[in-house]
Amino acid sequence: MSLWSRIGNVFRGDRINREIAEEFESHIEEAIAEGRDPAEARRSFGPIMQQRETSHGIRVAGWLESFVQDTAYGVRSMLRSKALIGVALLSLALGIGANTAIFSLLDAVLLRMLPVKEPQRLMLLGTARTNGVSDAYGFTELFSYPFYRELQKQNSVFSDTAAMFSMKSDIHGFIGNETSSVLMKAQLVSGTYFSTLGMEAGMGRLLSDADDSTEGDHPVVVVSDAWWKRAMGKDPAVLGRTLKIGPTVFTIVGVAPAEFFGTMVGDAPDLWIPFSMVKAVPPYFDGYKNNFAESLYIFGRMKPSVTPEQATANVNVLFRLILLSFTDRKPDQRELANLNNTHVPLTSMGTGLSRLRRQFSEPLQMLMGIVALVLLIACTNIANLLLARATARARELAVRQALGAQRGRIIRQLLTESLVLSFAGGALGIAFAMGASRLLLRMVSSGPEVTPLNVGLNTTVLLFTLGITVATALLFGTIPAFRATRVELTETLKEGRGMVKGGTKNLLARTMVVLQVALSLALVVGASLFLRSLINLTNVDTGFNRENVLRLNIDPSSVDYKDGEPRLTTMFEEIEAKVSALPGVHAASFSDFVFHEGSWNGWIVVPGAPVNYDVQVKHDVVGNSFFATMQIPLIAGRTFVPQDTAKSPHVAIINEHMAKTFFPEGSPIGKSYHMGTNDSPVQIIGVVKDAKFGSLDETPQSIDYIPYLQHPQYVDDLSVRYTGDFNAIADAVQQTIHSIDRSLPITDVTTLDEQVQRSVTNQRVVAQLSIFFGLLAVFLSCIGIYGLMSYIVSQRTNEIGIRMALGAPQSNVRWLVLREIAVMVLVGIAIGVPATLAGGRLVTHMLFGLKDNDPASIALAVGVLLVVGLIAGYFPARRASRVDPMIALRYE
Amino acid sequence: MAQYPPRTKTDSLQGSLDLLVLKILSRRPHLHGYAIMTAIGNISDEVLRAEEGSLYPALHRMEEAGWIRAEWIKKENGRRARIYELTAAGKKQLGAEESRWAAISSAINRVLREA
Repeated sequence: MSLWSRIGNVFRGDRINREIAEEFESHIEEAIAEGRDPAEARRSFGPIMQQRETSHGIRVAGWLESFVQDTAYGVRSMLRSKALIGVALLSLALGIGANTAIFSLLDAVLLRMLPVKEPQRLMLLGTARTNGVSDAYGFTELFSYPFYRELQKQNSVFSDTAAMFSMKSDIHGFIGNETSSVLMKAQLVSGTYFSTLGMEAGMGRLLSDADDSTEGDHPVVVVSDAWWKRAMGKDPAVLGRTLKIGPTVFTIVGVAPAEFFGTMVGDAPDLWIPFSMVKAVPPYFDGYKNNFAESLYIFGRMKPSVTPEQATANVNVLFRLILLSFTDRKPDQRELANLNNTHVPLTSMGTGLSRLRRQFSEPLQMLMGIVALVLLIACTNIANLLLARATARARELAVRQALGAQRGRIIRQLLTESLVLSFAGGALGIAFAMGASRLLLRMVSSGPEVTPLNVGLNTTVLLFTLGITVATALLFGTIPAFRATRVELTETLKEGRGMVKGGTKNLLARTMVVLQVALSLALVVGASLFLRSLINLTNVDTGFNRENVLRLNIDPSSVDYKDGEPRLTTMFEEIEAKVSALPGVHAASFSDFVFHEGSWNGWIVVPGAPVNYDVQVKHDVVGNSFFATMQIPLIAGRTFVPQDTAKSPHVAIINEHMAKTFFPEGSPIGKSYHMGTNDSPVQIIGVVKDAKFGSLDETPQSIDYIPYLQHPQYVDDLSVRYTGDFNAIADAVQQTIHSIDRSLPITDVTTLDEQVQRSVTNQRVVAQLSIFFGLLAVFLSCIGIYGLMSYIVSQRTNEIGIRMALGAPQSNVRWLVLREIAVMVLVGIAIGVPATLAGGRLVTHMLFGLKDNDPASIALAVGVLLVVGLIAGYFPARRASRVDPMIALRYE
Repeated sequence: MAQYPPRTKTDSLQGSLDLLVLKILSRRPHLHGYAIMTAIGNISDEVLRAEEGSLYPALHRMEEAGWIRAEWIKKENGRRARIYELTAAGKKQLGAEESRWAAISSAINRVLREA
């Protein structure tokens, strides 16, 4: 018989079984007809029924049939113990689901390769750690456009070389002739960008080097598939349609493939524009021909035979040669020395670039560890439940073994049951993960928009889930299966469900509960650490008053305001004045930065003192009422006044830290300094208290504030101090702005407090999730303790009955049970505390304002587990103490 | 070739059941299991007895091996019976088993005679 028909037999198993039965019936009938005793005739088939199991191996593809049978059997036998299965499935679904959800995010952020041709051959110059525009000599992270062109020409290691603007421009542009603007995130790229990635257009064409050959005359864009669907309603006639950005009309020449989100993970652009048009795209940066306007990331595709080391060597030689060939800037001694010591590292771009990655990789890996521990706890729980169940089924299994079923066969059947259970749990887990990963993404997105990441299911994620599902089944199924089949047959058959000797019998189950307690302890300590760290962070004195401030962004660059032009400044002043006059508004001021928005920094030159290039001063360009709005207290001197105009001497206000750092002796008021290489000095007129600038956990920074009247430029943050209803004020402020310029796009209207909260999104998510999983772990351990103790009590009913018959008081019996729990919990704690202390070092740098060996957190965790353990044990203990001795003694 | 299951009760046929079944079917095709069993008993004057527990697994195994083939027939009472006949492979196997048996029995006889 061919294998194929054997496999066929598996699914015809029922029919074959029926036929065999029919044949036997016919045999028995003949026998009776010949005068044999019917009962005897029937009995003679007894051994055959037994052999049928064995003969399957001969008749069909044995393992497959037994698998199908075992699965069916498993499902049936599980359905008999609904409560157990419910608990097991729920904990599996949560455990596997949480693992899948965290992993899908981890995969999207850290692991997934770019959907381009051979992404592992792409190498980036530098590390993409910074973005922006720099004029530092010999900077190894950002590069100028002329540098890119020279490198492209001279290198011998890349088959293609491309560049992209290190910043994404959030533009408000117009589709066709529409009158209301639409947000479009534009990515400026070199014409070689798509060809270096090795991509084909989804529709139309992608950009080519010809689009980037001469400055200013290639107004073409490629739009992303997502944006084409979202903003253009999937218009089939999209090619040739126009977008008006600033004063320039661009033509759409192509749509990128659907799976392509750009080269920045979690930062998907809507449009790609050739860098030749950089001056036409807000904020109208002039960098096409400037040798030292360093604003680009450069990456190349290594030629087939080239190794990363060779590429690095070649790039570093060229880096010096090209910079030295730019004769329009003469490096001084220090800069030359720097150039000789510096090294351009090459980073693989296989998984794309990401700032998200730096921010998320640690919390994600830690959460992955946490959910893995939770799954482990769930596994031990289910193992214990199965162990208890296997003991309850001991008779069934013993009977089967006595009838000739081999031990391996029964182990396989029990493992199949575990697999059935874990696959059901895994399926539920995937359903749970689909919702959870989206929620997770929402939680980690610190802005008003959800970070554009694809966290849906894909092959990698599903393989991962499959892997942990099978691993889970083996983990929780193996020990009970081997345990259950290791029986002394005659003992068990004789004994029935009866007596249990001593406590050692449940040693394995107890060990697992102890393990659960230890793991839960670690998770509770972790949760407490992260929560306390978050509380410390949110209680940090920001130096400004975050309450009752509305903040919003305007985008003057998109509506024809040129950087630095006088009417821009006039517009700012007008808005400040009108908004300040609104009822309920106390002060309003524009500024370049408020909090957690990046920085503009550089070194300063104090006349008469050596320049300290290591200390970067953060510059903020602000309106006159900035300090009143933010309520940053003035310590010395004065704040800006209307008399500080473009024509008056340039002035600055510095913070305390800067005063201490640069002017340690005497009052800095009246002294002057230069910002970088700037010729005209600024004079210090005031000192303000230190305020947080980038993050809540930063050490004091040197910050100076300069008025926008003297430094006309785009400053797009408006802060408004108000009292009363936020929504009413928000409406009034926006109306006021639009009364001055109807076309001015307004975005991200929210409170300053919210902005501060967003800066600790990561920490908050970590705290929330670790609390959730910590509680889940405790809950699962609770079930574990409860289950085991209920089981032990039911096993010992007889003994308890005897004790009570002999006069043991109820409290004594209760204590008997509780003592066992207390021992397990205490042993678990005794193991868990040192383990937690050892593991704590992994998270210590993620904590703020406390150490990983925080005694309060450990005490809390110990307390929680003791209380919860005793609560979980109380019910079995009470049941034990209410045993009626008479019933208990008759029991069995 | 598959072995008898270890727990099968030892019967008097000891490995020669296949030979007997094949031989009987070669003489009288289209017998059902019960008939084969009684035939073994009758021909051997009740010296040899095939247990149901050995016969049916043997039949199914030989069917599996392709030595015999089975078909269902309708009996007078309307029930179905499963009858067996030899295949070409079965005939060949019968020849092989017969010569094996001859070799063994003559060897045993020699031992009995000469020891």
